[in-house]
Amino acid sequence: MYVEYADFPYLSTILLSCVAGLLVILFLPRERTREIKWVSAIFSGITLIISLYLFVAYDKGQAGFQFAEKIDWVPSLGITYFNAVDGFSMPMLLLTGIVFFTGVLTMWELENRVKEFFALTFLLVTGVFGLFMGLDLFFIFVWYDVSLFPMYLLIAVWGSTRKEYAAMKLTLYLLAGSALILPAIVYLVVTAGLGSFDLLALTEPNLFTADQQKFAFLLLYIGFGILAGVWPFHTWSPVGHVAAPTAVSMIHAGVLMKIGAFGVLRLGMYMCPEGWQYWAPLMALLAVVGIVYGVFVGLQQTDLKYVIGYSSVSHMGIVGLGLATVSVDGLNGAVFQMFAHGVMTALFFSAVGYIYDRTHTKAIAELGGLSRAMPVASGYFILAALTGVGVPCLASFWAELMVFISAFKVYPLYGTLAVCALVVSALFMLRVVQRACYGPENHRFSGLEDVSFRLGLPRMILAGVIVLFGLFPSLMFDMIRTASLPFVAGLP
Amino acid sequence: MTFSPMTETSLLAAVCCSVLPLVAFAVVMIGTRNRRRLSAGISIGAVGVSLLCSVFLLVRHWHADEPLRFVGTWLISGEITVPIGVLLDPTSLLMLVVVAGICFLVQVYSLGYMAGDPGFTRYYAFMSLFAWAMISLTLSPTLLQLYVFWELVGLSSYLLIGFWYEKFSASEAGKKAFVMTRLGDVAFLLGLLVVLVEFGNLDILELNSLAPLQRMDPAVITLSALLIFGGIVGKSAQFPLLTWLPDAMEGPTPVSALLHSATMVAAGVFLFARIFPFFRLSSTAMTVFLLIGTVSMLLSSTMAMVARDIKQVWAYSTVSQLGFMIMGLAAGSFFSGVFHLTTHAGFKALLFLCSGVFIHAFGTNDMFEIGRRGGRGLHIPMVCMVIAAAALSGIPPLSGFFSKEAILGALAELDNPVWLAAGLLGAFLTAYYTFRLLFIVLFPRRQEPEGDGDGKDGGHGAHDPHAHRQEYRAMAGPLLVLAAVTLVLGFAHGPLERFLHFEGAAAGGHGPHWLLYAALGLASAGVALAYLEFGLPGAAQVGFVERMPALKKLFAERWYLDRMYRWLLDRIVYGMVSRACSFNDRKVIDGGLDGLSRGTIASGRRLSSLHGEMIQYRILVVFAVVALLVLHFFLQ
Repeated sequence: MYVEYADFPYLSTILLSCVAGLLVILFLPRERTREIKWVSAIFSGITLIISLYLFVAYDKGQAGFQFAEKIDWVPSLGITYFNAVDGFSMPMLLLTGIVFFTGVLTMWELENRVKEFFALTFLLVTGVFGLFMGLDLFFIFVWYDVSLFPMYLLIAVWGSTRKEYAAMKLTLYLLAGSALILPAIVYLVVTAGLGSFDLLALTEPNLFTADQQKFAFLLLYIGFGILAGVWPFHTWSPVGHVAAPTAVSMIHAGVLMKIGAFGVLRLGMYMCPEGWQYWAPLMALLAVVGIVYGVFVGLQQTDLKYVIGYSSVSHMGIVGLGLATVSVDGLNGAVFQMFAHGVMTALFFSAVGYIYDRTHTKAIAELGGLSRAMPVASGYFILAALTGVGVPCLASFWAELMVFISAFKVYPLYGTLAVCALVVSALFMLRVVQRACYGPENHRFSGLEDVSFRLGLPRMILAGVIVLFGLFPSLMFDMIRTASLPFVAGLP
Repeated sequence: MTFSPMTETSLLAAVCCSVLPLVAFAVVMIGTRNRRRLSAGISIGAVGVSLLCSVFLLVRHWHADEPLRFVGTWLISGEITVPIGVLLDPTSLLMLVVVAGICFLVQVYSLGYMAGDPGFTRYYAFMSLFAWAMISLTLSPTLLQLYVFWELVGLSSYLLIGFWYEKFSASEAGKKAFVMTRLGDVAFLLGLLVVLVEFGNLDILELNSLAPLQRMDPAVITLSALLIFGGIVGKSAQFPLLTWLPDAMEGPTPVSALLHSATMVAAGVFLFARIFPFFRLSSTAMTVFLLIGTVSMLLSSTMAMVARDIKQVWAYSTVSQLGFMIMGLAAGSFFSGVFHLTTHAGFKALLFLCSGVFIHAFGTNDMFEIGRRGGRGLHIPMVCMVIAAAALSGIPPLSGFFSKEAILGALAELDNPVWLAAGLLGAFLTAYYTFRLLFIVLFPRRQEPEGDGDGKDGGHGAHDPHAHRQEYRAMAGPLLVLAAVTLVLGFAHGPLERFLHFEGAAAGGHGPHWLLYAALGLASAGVALAYLEFGLPGAAQVGFVERMPALKKLFAERWYLDRMYRWLLDRIVYGMVSRACSFNDRKVIDGGLDGLSRGTIASGRRLSSLHGEMIQYRILVVFAVVALLVLHFFLQ
């Protein structure tokens, strides 16, 4: 596989700026909350700028991995520090940068244990960045656990609504996932007998027999699938979304769930392509159940954040369906949907976070008339809801369209069901918009101020990204295609 | 499939035509939300330029022999490429002028109607969004692009119906409109997927050639045509998805005039016309379309006969006229459907805009109330409304007469006389309910016949006289323009027929000559009956339907269609499926998990008692284990 090494370690700079931010925050006194927030904003801004630069500088004429950097770490065990990005991971890197930066800005008003909060967030994001760019199985697993551990504290300390339960549930679930991933990695490395954790070396054809691939893929699929909210392992995610503080919900739903899908793609499908093709019908079935099930459960919810949580289950089902089609268009749609859904949920949670901070309620029945009290804040919420409904010229429409088309070719029945779920999804999103935002003026909210320009900045960025990629989807498809075309062409 | 490449001038004009309103939307939304006059100016200016461009294009290509097409790529995935472009042929050119023209007039009219509304700039932003989506829909060269903008007009319809979002009924109506049309759109999308998989692409010109016959099985053609027609049923509010349209009247009246009578709902009929040759490949599908058009036309006419709300009457009438167009197209006459679409857009928009003046002036939608409070004192709207109503009823020499004749002529050529009979019955009912409304407004009675009038507040009460006069003037201009169009458009019958003619189109049938007299006679009978019941001095103003309580209830309840949907939604969707899924989530999946963790904790507690207390007990266990091991080895 083509790997182009970088003349400057851009990827490590991203990781380093996360670590540097973490260290600076740790050495600042805890009373200096203003400085801590500025430091967080600056260092997260650096990661966003670098990932944006890489997104633009990536050579789309040249398939394969770019900006690679490789250092032997533990030669005796075959562990290398090996980072690179391709058309699949580049969108994820950009997504992480966007969600991280906007998440930090969203938490500008935080007052409770500011230092610890931002330090843990930086730790979490370091793991996420590392995982998306990593090409060494050992490091990927380490990054995976690095990104899980802070989650527990972030939810248990700063959360709301059954936070201990949610934090524990989430941690146990994800640890169960890693209990499946680790054996799969060890199994594959040992079976290959190359004495190397290098992912690219392990993707060479004919390294594993078909049965080995089927076994390992199933472990990886379930292990990472838990994180991606695959039905029926999804119940941690709505609870976790609800309990987490705003920025953590954003990162959690926006980025962390993508790690799951990305893990299935990068580890499972790259190393075990035959296993993937063998299990694809099962993946498609679970995905479609998730799509339909998510919207129906969402119809019954009474809490704004639960609604978003279940919409995530449904939207991540679309990612799963795309992956299950084993086709270029399906993969393109799935990866684009990962990106689009990430930005969309970040906007959702960001808007809800603002509304919750002012009104102190997330119960849909207690809201109403928000559009009168805070037109801009509810405008962002409505935009996110419309993206979720799949309105054209907003990012996720194209992703869904590609997945539907390719799914319809491969699994006509599942494709039809997924398309039919669009009606219920419209009903369920618009019902929430109507109850929360519309309606007569609510006097309890009449004194509340609307989003100011400064506080609105993160929402503005997210909304802009949604519209930009909705109007010019080729910006993203051209990128993803550089990875998906050769990958599918090289399938056994 | 033949087409000519497009010249640069035409392309530029077409792009300006569609993109300018989008620019206006963005500018108003982001930049000028707090500046009312500037926002309205930008929006009207943009759509004005669009109108000029579209007229320019129509004139320039009046004699074009072949469709002009320009296609670029919007995105390339793997096997799928999504093109974006412009297709100019007689159908799209005509529709373009209709859309841009009515958009422009309605936006000018709104200067008066919406003056003083707190959401004035938001209104103009959404209007521009709609103009962009609708114009781009008209110009689409592929069905996929058409679908994209089809959804976007649905979005702007949702936003504009729910424009007064503080009213529960308005936000409810917006949601209902979106979800019900979505229901049709899902069928549409599935139809597109079938075509895409079986045929390979969604190019309109290619679909309209004979290529589908070679590459697709006849059964698949029928299936995909029926599915695509689902989208038309949703968007054009045909049976059984027709109940969202009357509810959509909750939006401001200019919105009803533009979206819910003249252009957006006509997009369904436009789509029919757009791929007319493809639909015609399946005679089964055409018969189904004819049936649905007929049923919608008759059902909604009956509903219009008992409505009291002036906008509701026009809404039902819109459904019925759209059904009429679909009948014409499904009968095989391309021209009659498109011609009626054009004339209807003019006179129906006029009817709504006239009603808007009344609603604005008197603050009520109730036709009896408008009559009592001196509706006929407003001369310009009253005269215009009479013209438009006469056109709707098919009275010569107004535009509606010619287009209705064309459709009836097409129906007369079918083998089965039922369709023609239905069409004639429809003509009678239309004349009856139209003039019922007109006579009620023109000849008010002191006492109300029945006391169940609930005037919905659509306008905004009184203003000071000076401002009022200015608003009135802004509203009167567009009325006069549309009235003039309604007066003369009928005479463009011949040139338009030549313009729209394409190879393979059936020649517009004129039917037997008694048809003309039959249609005229029935229309006059409808007017006469309405006069007897509502116009004659001393008449009770109670229609013959209202004398039959069972029938009246059936019509007023919209044939219980809404009740059925409510029941389905509450019982099946919420009550069964959604509840079952939630139950499964909470009790089965989570319950199982919580049970598992409780079990783990409990067994841990049980086992932990092995540690810690009671040393004798532990020694006993150790002894027992050792004893068992010894026993085991001895036995081996």
